[in-house]
Amino acid sequence: MPQLNLVYRHREAGGPLTELTAYERAGGYRALRETLANLDPDETLYQFQRSGLRGRGGAGFPTGRKASFLPKDAPLRKYVVCNADESEPGTFKDREIMEMNPFQLLEGLTLAGYAIGAARGYIYIRGEYEHQARILDRAVAQARAAGYLGQNVMGSGMSYDITVYRGAGAYICGEETALLESLEGKRGQPRLKPPFPAVAGLYASPTLINNVETLSALPPIMERGADWYASLGTEKSPGTKLFSISGHVMRPGNYEIVLHDTTLRELVEDIAGGLRPGRRFRACWVGGSSVPVIGEEALDTPLDYESLQAVGTFLGSGGCIVMDDSGCIVRASLRLAHFYRHESCGKCTPCREGTNWLERLLQRIVDGDGRMEDLDLLESLFGRMSGTTLCPLADGAVAPIRSALRLFRDDFERVVREGSPRPEPMMEATVA
Amino acid sequence: MPEREPVTFQLDGRTVHAPAGTMLVDAAAMHGVEIPIFCYEPRLGAPIGACRMCLVEVEGMRGLQTACSTPVAPDMVVRTQSEPVKQAQDGVLELFLGNHPLDCPVCDKGGECPLQDRTFRFGPGTTRFAEPKRHHPKPLDLSSLIALDRERCIACFRCVRFSQDVAQDRNLVFEERGGRTYIATASGEEYDGRFTGNVIDLCPVGALTSNPYRFVARPWDVKNAPSVCAHCSVGCNTELTAREGRILRVTGRPQPNPAVEEGWLCDKGRFAYPATFGPDRITTPLIREGGEEREVDLEEAVAYAGVLLSRGAAPGFLLGATATVEEGFLALELAARLPNGTAGRLGVPSDGLDVLRALPAAELGDIDGADLVAIVGGDPANAQPVVELRVRKAARRGARILVIGPRSTPLDGLGGRVRTEPGRLVTCIETLTDAVLGAASPVVLWDEADLANEPQAAVRLAELLAGRAGARQIELGGDASTAGLRALGIPAGLMLGQAVAQRIGTFVAVHVDPTDGPGGAEWAAALARVGPIIAIASHRSRLTDRAAVVLPALTPYEQEGVLVSMTGRAQRLRAGAPGPGGAAAGWEILVALSHRTGKPLPYRTPRQVFAAAAEAHAAFAGMSYDTIGDLGQPVARPAAPAEAPPPPAAAGDGLLVVPCPAIFGDATARRSDALAAVRTPPRAWLAQDDAERLGLNGDGLVRLASPHGEITLPAAVDPRLRPGGVFVALGADGAPGAESLLPPDRGPVRASVARA
Repeated sequence: MPQLNLVYRHREAGGPLTELTAYERAGGYRALRETLANLDPDETLYQFQRSGLRGRGGAGFPTGRKASFLPKDAPLRKYVVCNADESEPGTFKDREIMEMNPFQLLEGLTLAGYAIGAARGYIYIRGEYEHQARILDRAVAQARAAGYLGQNVMGSGMSYDITVYRGAGAYICGEETALLESLEGKRGQPRLKPPFPAVAGLYASPTLINNVETLSALPPIMERGADWYASLGTEKSPGTKLFSISGHVMRPGNYEIVLHDTTLRELVEDIAGGLRPGRRFRACWVGGSSVPVIGEEALDTPLDYESLQAVGTFLGSGGCIVMDDSGCIVRASLRLAHFYRHESCGKCTPCREGTNWLERLLQRIVDGDGRMEDLDLLESLFGRMSGTTLCPLADGAVAPIRSALRLFRDDFERVVREGSPRPEPMMEATVA
Repeated sequence: MPEREPVTFQLDGRTVHAPAGTMLVDAAAMHGVEIPIFCYEPRLGAPIGACRMCLVEVEGMRGLQTACSTPVAPDMVVRTQSEPVKQAQDGVLELFLGNHPLDCPVCDKGGECPLQDRTFRFGPGTTRFAEPKRHHPKPLDLSSLIALDRERCIACFRCVRFSQDVAQDRNLVFEERGGRTYIATASGEEYDGRFTGNVIDLCPVGALTSNPYRFVARPWDVKNAPSVCAHCSVGCNTELTAREGRILRVTGRPQPNPAVEEGWLCDKGRFAYPATFGPDRITTPLIREGGEEREVDLEEAVAYAGVLLSRGAAPGFLLGATATVEEGFLALELAARLPNGTAGRLGVPSDGLDVLRALPAAELGDIDGADLVAIVGGDPANAQPVVELRVRKAARRGARILVIGPRSTPLDGLGGRVRTEPGRLVTCIETLTDAVLGAASPVVLWDEADLANEPQAAVRLAELLAGRAGARQIELGGDASTAGLRALGIPAGLMLGQAVAQRIGTFVAVHVDPTDGPGGAEWAAALARVGPIIAIASHRSRLTDRAAVVLPALTPYEQEGVLVSMTGRAQRLRAGAPGPGGAAAGWEILVALSHRTGKPLPYRTPRQVFAAAAEAHAAFAGMSYDTIGDLGQPVARPAAPAEAPPPPAAAGDGLLVVPCPAIFGDATARRSDALAAVRTPPRAWLAQDDAERLGLNGDGLVRLASPHGEITLPAAVDPRLRPGGVFVALGADGAPGAESLLPPDRGPVRASVARA
């Protein structure tokens, strides 16, 4: 049950690393200094690839490979964009990085910029993270004053700066192309791909977009070596991963664990302190709200990309939401449907209209006005919403609810017959 | 555009070809396969893939692909009718209709609605949506011209993209998001602009409908005819909708003309048609004799006019802004057959500009491929409105735009702006030379009236362009009739002098009242010195109020004929409606008059008239209604004149009058009640220095006086203007403007300016 704090360096240090001096005392900026001194950009990029690091935002795409897609000889400026629009329900891991260990993100963002030859990095942070944005602003100012950003970074000749840009709190802006639209000052809506951001991203220029956690993993990789990092976990799931665990557990919070070395049961029962006394595990959305829900039978699955996929779900963002037997799976599905309906940008028809229909249908079922054929209708609606849109938001709406219907069909049928009584107020919170 | 390599691919089991880069939607259409679409509209720019209606199966690609954004590739295997595709089409349509009000029986779009059509053709036919529908307050007036029904909207982005990217007024936006998304104006005010009506044509549902057409007719009760707009010299291709003999709507053609308007119309052209049944439409022939006025039938009126023509010598035929080639040709023929007859036209005498006209000419469509678009003088956004959209399109594509001239124009913000001193266009030649020399395919648009006043600038411009391979020019100017009448050799600017010299006997005005316009006072005086007046006119004017015979004419909406656009493109007018019973086509009246004068012209149809004109006039050699077809045909270019005319001197004292066209300030806009809310009254503008010198700071009324007339107008300071001129909007009868100050030939003139 090994926890290893690489990204959460502040936990090792025993306190927040929001001052540059504190971060450096904890070993910070050593990676950047040595990289700039000893490696050229291509060698740096090679280290990213060698580490096997996969994107931590949810999709799990190999980070080094993604960076290698950027054209080497493009005449346009290149950009690195940090996706700090952490909006996935149940996910709050990036918040802690930015709040407690902001320089590690800046260092990672600078390493990424160096590897691809970018002139500027952007941190697109969700509007609600006001406190974190201020910490980042302050950190950027300190890094600049120390010569770690700006002209001639650390005397290496590299010219690079970082801008913190605050979004307005839309979930859709966590989708990379919608994020770019928003960053350009437009309405946050996904773009048609191709072209992909690596070719034409921010301001139609080659752009690398990575999650906060992904970028923050780069300094330890460069510091301790890609091979060492790759030796953690499995071949397909190397390194450590942050999990935000919430819901019906005794010790909700963020935990950094080595991939594969911990099972879901260990995460829930040991690390997160287990369920409330007398309660029984019922369901878990292990990688944020957009992944298929899993039940008790999956508890002994090791937490890594491939094992979770084998049991029909995804590692996702690592936002693990646990529900015990006091919750109603149909009501929880309705709550998710409400979220996706509210956050759909409205660009693609199947998502705009489908999420709306989905919520209304589930509402009717929960209210006790459902019919058995509504369950078939749900299934048909899922089919028409998934795989038909520009971005994965509609798929994200479908996945947890479709899996719930399949896994907990009895509950749905019971609710169709009887409705669902209002639960204890613990899980109730309404988004406008 | 260079030919693209053909690509071979499989479409529903057939092996077919399409040019490389063609999107699947278009490639399929080339082979008779309809892939349903809503948001796809190439005229709005790159595809956005939002509506998801066009999903198809492409072998080897994961999931379904949007055919609107997937280009054909060699050996691609595409399925448009498979079960997964059918499922997706059913799905998207069921989702569209879930919240759609399905009020088709009371919706103006019903019967010509893409959502309806595609639902019938591709949809499931039933719905399982049993939830309450979404509601919005409705209908709302997006403007006086456009009604908005937000419940019918399917959020296809077309209108928003038009506003944002094509017209670039940037006023239409989506508010809210997801299922609550709705169309609104960013300003919160009305959607105003020069091109707003195009969103009605673009809307694939009944969300945006025309207010003037609202609840007026159903598609199965109307007749549509392709025609051409006659409200300016651009010659936009239109479709006329008529019911029970009335024109009830004008829209862009379903198959736009890529060389001309590309399907876009300006609001003036789109909403001018109510004038055809306005209160000043002439429906009854009239004879004034011995101080008495009597209404007669057309037969009698023509007979009477024939007598007047036969009795007097030296008839003068004056042709106006909407006269067709046929009418011009017949006027010439009649004039030639009658003793000392002459034919002339209103407008700017600008034969000297043939030095430019003789150069390689471009169509508006060629602006799309230009790397430099230079506008020399004029204000096309107001005078030849649709040109603006072409120029914006070129700018969007990255072409360099150079706007040269004294006026403030809506195109100023697009790129290089060279503001010249009034009357000193020639000073721009140097800047222009550098730009043209640096470009591979420059297109220069030049304003007829401005350059006619500065022939030396025209000569310099011609020299610059003549030496450049790839350089082409477009003339901005004139009316719908100008280029056609010019091609027939009908001169401008001569008849007034002839009238003053009492060399005109019977005066025949064809679609014209010369007393309403530049030199109106001179014309009014001159007409007192001519013989009886025969007015062939569709609308009442000061001239028809005094004419001896009024012969009610059909409007360009109601008659056949050929108009030549400013780019030299002959295009056919078609009769969208029969017009009032007492009226006849101008060509028909002229033929009838020839019979009454004993010099019969042997034509029974406009087709025959045009054939004869083509026989007799080199510009139309080899042309016929058939060769012109639906999309038009260029006429022959004139030869360059031997020498340039001397520069005209400006009469009067004070500031040079710079007439400024106003899209909604002319007679067309004044006659249409649909445009009542957008009409603009004439105004005057001054440069800061001039205003200060004259003690005119701040807004207020000014009195302007030239040797040709005077007028009092509200004036404002425009700090962007250069001193030396007074910039005066052109107006029309009822709300006169700059034309009150101008000489009959629109030549340069100065006016004194004083606080009124």
